[in-house]
Amino acid sequence: MTSAENAIIVENLHKHFRIRYRTHLKTRMLNLLKRQPPLQEFTALHNVSFTVPRGQTVAVIGRNGSGKSTLLCLLARVYRKTGGVIQMSAEDGSPARIAPLLDLSAGFHLDLTGAENILFYGAVLGNTAKEMRACFDSIVEFAELGSKVDTHLRNWNEGARLRLGFSIAVHTNPDILLVDEVLAVGDEAFQAKCYAYIRKMQSLGKTIVFVTHDLRTVERVAQRVIWLNQGNIQMDGDVGEVLQSYRVFSAGAAFTDGLN
Amino acid sequence: MPLRDNEPPVTMRGELRELWKFRELVKMLVTRELKIRYKNSVLGFVWSIIPPLMQVLVFTFLLRNVLGVPAKNFSAYLLSGIIPWTFFSTGIQDASQSIVINYTMIRKIYMPREAIPLANVISNGVHFLLGWLVYFVAFYLVAPFFHGGIPILPTLVFFPFVVVMETMLVTGCALFVAALNVFYEDVKFILQTVFNLAFFIMPVLYPSDQIYYTSSLVRKHPWIFTLYMLNPIASFINAFRHFILQPIGPSAFNQSPRLIGKPPLPFDWTTFGGACLITVLVAWGGYTYFNYRKWQFVERP
Repeated sequence: MTSAENAIIVENLHKHFRIRYRTHLKTRMLNLLKRQPPLQEFTALHNVSFTVPRGQTVAVIGRNGSGKSTLLCLLARVYRKTGGVIQMSAEDGSPARIAPLLDLSAGFHLDLTGAENILFYGAVLGNTAKEMRACFDSIVEFAELGSKVDTHLRNWNEGARLRLGFSIAVHTNPDILLVDEVLAVGDEAFQAKCYAYIRKMQSLGKTIVFVTHDLRTVERVAQRVIWLNQGNIQMDGDVGEVLQSYRVFSAGAAFTDGLN
Repeated sequence: MPLRDNEPPVTMRGELRELWKFRELVKMLVTRELKIRYKNSVLGFVWSIIPPLMQVLVFTFLLRNVLGVPAKNFSAYLLSGIIPWTFFSTGIQDASQSIVINYTMIRKIYMPREAIPLANVISNGVHFLLGWLVYFVAFYLVAPFFHGGIPILPTLVFFPFVVVMETMLVTGCALFVAALNVFYEDVKFILQTVFNLAFFIMPVLYPSDQIYYTSSLVRKHPWIFTLYMLNPIASFINAFRHFILQPIGPSAFNQSPRLIGKPPLPFDWTTFGGACLITVLVAWGGYTYFNYRKWQFVERP
C-alpha cells in the first residue's frame, strides 16, 4: 500500500461530539455541586476504516445522522478527529491538494466583486493571487459570468454564486474533490455541465468522494459506494450491490417508521 | 510505511508554520477588511482619522478651557494617548466578534482559524499607523508654522519598538477574546464596560505621573503605582509619550499648590521591561488558549 496507489487511507477513524446544552447559571452551579458532568458525549463515527485508490469516485450514502457529513468534514479538516489516522496524498506522495465543495458560497463576501472573491476564495483554499490570476479567465468562463464578474456578489442570484464557487474550487488543480450534496443546486443546464466536469476530473485521474441522498446520481457517477449506518460502515463495495441492499433497508425503515 | 496523518501533532511552532503557509489568506482578509469597512462612504479612509481628531478637539476644549489645564502642546499629549488607546480598544473589540461573524466560513472550509482575528488586528494596525502618520505630519511639519511645533527627540528611535510591543499585546488579547466569545457572548458586553471605564483610568487624557502625584494613597504605597505601570497599555502609552514628547511636570495638568515645582517622573525602564515581558506572556497565553479552543468552534451548541 503506497501513497502512489491510494489517495485516501482512513484507519480506525472515530469522532465523538460533546453535546452542550444551553443552561442557566443556576443549573450549572447545581451540576457542579452534584458533580454531574455537564457534557454528554455522542459518537458520530465508530472506528471507520477504508482505502480509496487513486482515481476512484466513491459515493457515501446513508440515512440522516449516519455520519456522512461528519466523515466529509473530517476529510476536509473542518472537524478535528477524536482518534484514528487519515492520510490524503498526491501522486508524488506529498500531502494532497483538496477541493472541499461542502458549501459553495461559504467563502464569499457579498460586499466584494466577483473578481475580488475569486482571489479571496482562492487564498482560502491555499492558493496565491498569482496562481488564481493564471486561471482567472477559465473560472469566469466556466461559471458563465461574463462582465458580471466586476459587480458585487450582493446583486447576484444564488445560482451565479454557486456557479462561481464550483468553478473556483475545481480550477485550483486539486488531487481530491470532496463534494457534499452541492451538485443538486443550479439549473439543469449547469448541473449537466458539472457532471461533465466531474467526468473530466475522473478521466484525469482525480479522486472524488461525494455524499448524496440522490441514488440516481450515485448510479451515474460513482464507481464504489460506502454505506454508513449509525457511524459504522454497513457495506462497502460495488455500486449495484450496495444500492440494492440499501434500497431494501430504506424500504424496511420507512415501513417501521410508518408503523410507529 | 507508516501513514502520514493529515493532522500532524500540534505544537506552537507547527501552528505558526501552518499560519505562514496561509499568509496569502491573511493578506486577503486584511485587504477585505480595509475595503469593506468604508465601502459605502464618500470620505472612505478619512473616517479612520476623523474620530480621534474630533476627540482631541472636544477634550482639548473641555480640559483646557473648561477645567483650565494650562499645559503647552496639550493636544499633542492627548493625541499621543488617544492613538494607542484606540488601537487597543477597537482592535480587541473588533477581533472579539471576528470568529462569530465568519462562522459560516470556518464551518465549511479548513484554514488556520487564527488568520481571522489576526487579520482584524492587522487592519486596525494599519489605521493605528495612519493615526501616527497624521500625528507626525501635524506636529513636526505643520505646527511649526503656527509656533506650536515639538522638537524631534533622539528617543524617537525607540518608537517602533513600542509599536511592535503594542501590536503584540493587542494580538494576544484579540486571540483570547475571539475564542472566548464563541462560547460566551457575554464577552462583548464585558469588553464594552471595561473599555468605557478603562479609558478614564488609563493615562489617556493625562500623563501617568498624575496618578502618582495626585493620590495620597498611591504616594503612601508606591507599589500600587508600580502595579499600575506594569499594566502594558498604561506602560506603552507612557512610553510613547516619553519617547516623542518632552517631559512635563505635574503642575501643568493640575494647578493644586502641592504640585507646583514637582519634577516629572523619570522614565522607569524596569517597569517598562516588566510590561514588555507581560506582553510576551499575554501573546503566548492568548495564542495557546486560541489553539486549545479552535477546534471546538464548529462544535458549539
